[in-house]
Amino acid sequence: MNRLLALGALILLAGCGATTTIDEYRPNNQMMDINSEQSVVILGRRDAGHYDTDREFIDCVASKMEGADIGVFPEQQFVDAIYPWFEPRTAPKGLKRLRRLMEDSAIKEKIERNGIRYLVWLDGSTETHDKGGSISCAIGPGGGGCFGFAQWEKSSIYEAIVWDLTNLTEKGRLRVDSSGTSYLLGVVAPIPLLTPVKNDACASLGTQLKQFFTVDQSQ
Amino acid sequence: MSKTKIIILSLALTVLFISGCSSSAQVQIDSQFPTVVSKPKPVNAAIVFSEEFTNYIASPNSKTRIDLGSAQTKLLSNAFAGLFSQIEFVSAATDVTFDNALVITPSVQEVQVSTPSDTYLNVYEVWIKYSLDIQTAKGDQVDSWFMPAYGKTPDSFMLSKTNAIEEATVIALRDAGAKLLLDFYRIPSVYNWLVTEQIPHKNSKRSSHSE
Repeated sequence: MNRLLALGALILLAGCGATTTIDEYRPNNQMMDINSEQSVVILGRRDAGHYDTDREFIDCVASKMEGADIGVFPEQQFVDAIYPWFEPRTAPKGLKRLRRLMEDSAIKEKIERNGIRYLVWLDGSTETHDKGGSISCAIGPGGGGCFGFAQWEKSSIYEAIVWDLTNLTEKGRLRVDSSGTSYLLGVVAPIPLLTPVKNDACASLGTQLKQFFTVDQSQ
Repeated sequence: MSKTKIIILSLALTVLFISGCSSSAQVQIDSQFPTVVSKPKPVNAAIVFSEEFTNYIASPNSKTRIDLGSAQTKLLSNAFAGLFSQIEFVSAATDVTFDNALVITPSVQEVQVSTPSDTYLNVYEVWIKYSLDIQTAKGDQVDSWFMPAYGKTPDSFMLSKTNAIEEATVIALRDAGAKLLLDFYRIPSVYNWLVTEQIPHKNSKRSSHSE
């Protein structure tokens, strides 16, 4: 009986795993050098009408990078330091505009003074769809409880584009596509079986992104 | 506990509960704004911040009031300082001391707010519609420029209505600063005035940042 229960729990937990795919593009296999005085800034795209790349995801990717001794410059501090040129209305969408922006000596000086070598644009969102089932809870004088079953699917699609702010070139692109189904079982108490889709996307993207950089410890 | 005390406590709790459901919002914008990174052009300008503008309180609907005056004055002072090398801030056009300058009077045309209950979107949005009345120091009209600004919260999760509107308003004000720096010298009449006054207008790359 115990084995049967354990097998059942294992099947349920296995069903909660997210499926994650990462596509990577790099124009060449050259590693990106970064020394201890330089840092990377991770910025979220905020110009789309129906979604914003959430700060929680950006912070998560930043923490993965910091874990690998790569200096990460805080997003809001960067946006404030060169206000208003990285606001949703003004942020460069392509290298052509970035090059034009960097022709301004005041902007270039701010970026250099803060030691920012690479800029990573993150664009994407996590969405919930295919909701199904129903669960209802009730409470009365004799006690309460929930009964039913609900499920929903989440998908996280994010793209990272790495720009070199010294050479003003694109160094690579990463796209992560993660999806999974979460369940809520109502067996007196509600039992959530959640698939960490966004966390999985963040961990995969962060790990892959770290491999782009070589930390030069000599300086 | 006596019956009277229980009734009073119940009433107090009910009042607290109902007031918690109130959808009115009194928003005071106290944010600090970053200094603009910009090389001003060699242009003199006088900015007229009227008392109405500096104390402006927007009422986009009967349940919302946004105290914008102080924040928008700070934000626009900072943004205008990035456009003009010589600048003075006055409270009336009659106080301008420059002989050859642009005299700019900003005013708020309208403020709109949308909440998730209005749009069924998961965001709060704020639109601020500014108008800049641009004249020369001699009183000749140069232009009246409409300058819309927009801000929205990333989502509405765990945000109170007041905090959400404040956040969206701050983003809209920052957008106003960005719009001003990006587009001011692209206004054809302002450009023509620069040409007429023989002020070098091609030295700065500012106007081409977004091309």
